Amino acid sequence: MTEAPMRVVIAEDHYLVREGTRRLLEDTGAVGVVAAVGDGTELLRAVDALRPEAVIADIRMPPTHHTEGIAAAHAIRAAHPRIGVVMLSQHADENYAFELFRRGTDGLAYLLKERIGELDELLRALREVASGRSVVDPRIVEVLMGSHTRAADAPLACLTRRELDVLRHMAEGKTNRAIAKALVLSESTIEKHVNSTFAKLGLAEETQLHRRVSAVLAYLRHAPASRTRGMP
Amino acid sequence: MRGNGRALGAAAVAGGLCLLWAATTGAFLLRNNTVTLPWILGAVLPCYCAGLFAWWHAPTHPVARRLLLIGTALSASIGIRYTSALLTTWYGWDLRAPENGLPSPTAALAVLPAEWDNLTVSILVVHLLALLPDGRPRFRGELLVLRSLWALLALPVALPAAGVPTHGVEYAVFYYPEAWLPGIGATLLVMRCLRGRAAGRRDLAALLPVATGAAALFLGRAASRLFRSWHGETGVLYLVGSLLGALPYVLISLSVVYAAFRYRLLGVDIVIRRSVVYGTLWLIISGWYLGMAMTLGLTAGQYFPIGLSVLIAVTATALFQPLRARLNQLAERRVFGRRLTSFELLVQFGSALEHAYDLSRLAPQLAAGLQVGLGLRWARVRLGAGDDLPVHTGTAGEEPDGCAAAAGGARGFPLRYGNDVLGLIEYGPKTEGRFTPEDHDVVETLARQAALAVHNVRLAAELSTRVDEVQRQAGELDASRARIVHAQDTERRRIERRLHDGIQQDLVALVAKLRLARNRLGRGGDIDAVLTEVQDDAYRVIDELREVAHGIHSPVLSDQGLVAAVTSRARRMPIPVTVRVDPSLDRVRFALDIEESAFYLVSEALTNVLKHADATHVTIRMSRSDGWLVVEVRDDGVGFPTGTTRGLGLTGMRDRIEAVGGDLLITSGSGAGTTIRSRLAERVREESHD
Repeated sequence: MTEAPMRVVIAEDHYLVREGTRRLLEDTGAVGVVAAVGDGTELLRAVDALRPEAVIADIRMPPTHHTEGIAAAHAIRAAHPRIGVVMLSQHADENYAFELFRRGTDGLAYLLKERIGELDELLRALREVASGRSVVDPRIVEVLMGSHTRAADAPLACLTRRELDVLRHMAEGKTNRAIAKALVLSESTIEKHVNSTFAKLGLAEETQLHRRVSAVLAYLRHAPASRTRGMP
Repeated sequence: MRGNGRALGAAAVAGGLCLLWAATTGAFLLRNNTVTLPWILGAVLPCYCAGLFAWWHAPTHPVARRLLLIGTALSASIGIRYTSALLTTWYGWDLRAPENGLPSPTAALAVLPAEWDNLTVSILVVHLLALLPDGRPRFRGELLVLRSLWALLALPVALPAAGVPTHGVEYAVFYYPEAWLPGIGATLLVMRCLRGRAAGRRDLAALLPVATGAAALFLGRAASRLFRSWHGETGVLYLVGSLLGALPYVLISLSVVYAAFRYRLLGVDIVIRRSVVYGTLWLIISGWYLGMAMTLGLTAGQYFPIGLSVLIAVTATALFQPLRARLNQLAERRVFGRRLTSFELLVQFGSALEHAYDLSRLAPQLAAGLQVGLGLRWARVRLGAGDDLPVHTGTAGEEPDGCAAAAGGARGFPLRYGNDVLGLIEYGPKTEGRFTPEDHDVVETLARQAALAVHNVRLAAELSTRVDEVQRQAGELDASRARIVHAQDTERRRIERRLHDGIQQDLVALVAKLRLARNRLGRGGDIDAVLTEVQDDAYRVIDELREVAHGIHSPVLSDQGLVAAVTSRARRMPIPVTVRVDPSLDRVRFALDIEESAFYLVSEALTNVLKHADATHVTIRMSRSDGWLVVEVRDDGVGFPTGTTRGLGLTGMRDRIEAVGGDLLITSGSGAGTTIRSRLAERVREESHD
């Protein structure tokens, strides 16, 4: 507990949830909530003024209660690339995650709202986004992996089953070592699968970190959907 | 009977010869024109002709036989009279008795045939009249009364024997029976009719007015005939007497011929041309008329110089001409029925067409009207135009066979409206006379009107079909609206149950578990396990709530549109689903109701696939074409016979799609899978929802 608490802004229109989350986070001692606001506009103002390390934002906020949170996240990421955003959503629907990650996955996390109850998960996500990485709620990945939906023209069609498994774990934000552990394989085997996946997805030229994120993005985009869209 | 018939035939021939003999003697030898021709033409000839006519057609019928006998007897009577007159003139036989004295036995014997003959005529008239219409006795006493009349034949013998003077005998034998017996006959007929009415005989009851009229007429005649007995055989009174004298014979003759034709008096169908009947009637009327006119002229000749009397005769003839024409017209109309003028025909048809929307009734109506109106042998009207209007044919008259029709001068008029041929009028030649240009015009005008009528009927039918269609649609709309409301209510009740029986109960259980945790805490126990349990329960409630909310409305649909919502729904299917989306649909937002209806369709279709289809794969296609959003869900399942589309939620789908102006096509078959394809009129939402 020698580290200084992470400076976080919370945006949530529901008062009880907002205060509950704040208390929960501050109670850990790892997070300092520098501001708790009720809508997207206030959030952007607070971020501009306070420059937190990370933001926790509700996806649905006034005035329209649709996807103000995502718009705010995009605005924050565009204005302050170093500030990570954890999106809390009541939608267990991958389409919202796609929407969030539409302009890139860096520094963004998509979590279901009830993950507040699983404090460790929330804290991990905050740390991940603060350091520019990305997290997707396991529930969303579960839906995508369980899906039987196919699209003949999807780029992932050429991946083997094993490569898809590895990619799924990558999407959950795991390191190669963690993946090897989960699949009971050697780390070098995982390394091989990761590289062949990158090659098949046309990501060989990218940097290591970016490649990883792009692979996840491709996975999220194409595994489920049939929409034909060029790679970003 | 045959012998009887032959005897009657012989009698008829004898009568004819008598008539010829009397006419010749009267006119040329005796120069007794005053009596001869008028009587022959006015009374004897009509009766004889009518008798022949009736007997020819019904040789065994009592009425026919009696009429012929009357005619024959009348002819014989006049023949006898002229023979004796001739003998008197040529040989100087004076058979006349002194005015108040007794005739010599020879003279009395010589007069006897004439006396019996005249009496026979009168008695036969009574028989004929009293036993109408069938000529056979039906009631007790009739035959007795009629037979007792023959006792009158004893008079010519009994009276001179009893010392009655010649003058008195003449009255009793010639004048009184001739005057009164027709009246008595008609009176007996009245009594017969009354008895018949009491006995429920309809034919007799119907005859009662005629019988009463005849009785009144003949009795009145008898009373006025008394003049003749006062004033001899000259002058105006003689003229009146002649007119009245001929009356019963003319009337009876006319009536029998007419009734034979019209009411089957003689019990047989007269299968002769109407013109023969009419000719007979014409002959009777003309004979009577001629006789009367001659009597007038001859009567005048007794008072005035010959020139003036001719003038009078001509004038009188001219004056009586309308009467004759009227009588002839009456006879014609009675025989031929009412003949319509062209104008009447058109007016009549016009009104028939105006109200005729039923071609099956109009066709025979037109055919009959045409046939009767123009006096055609046959007419056939065919209405309707093959393809969209069923053909109705009406035929009137006896239509000959095809080849005979072609040979018999059959003509046809097509019914035209614009370029359409809407039917055909065909007809044979006229029964009488030739087909005139006027007739042609009538048929042509009629054809034009009929074509218009058929056209109207066609329009009316079309209109009625459309009205039916609109009504059916209105009914369907009402039903579908009711179904939609019903479905909404059902859905609301289902959600309410899920909230109350599911989520609320879960929350209550959660509260109970929290209370349990507090109790344990109060006792200083370990509550970590309980709290974990509470947290897990809370997650479940959240999941449940999310599911319910999603069931009410898909947030993805409103937030991200149709394609996102459909792919999201497809991903949650437990069987493989391929989604093919036209790139032009990418991020397009349609009007709210369109998106919702399309999503509802896909949702329901997928639910159906899971419930019924037993499919291994589903393909969803979404595309745009010509302003339509096309959504198709195809499975490879068991399918169903397309006749049984009800009860699979398909009605609900159709209602939803049709409510937003779309249509739905369901193709399926046992073992062939099911394809549900819907087109929705594309309406793009104004604001883009990025």
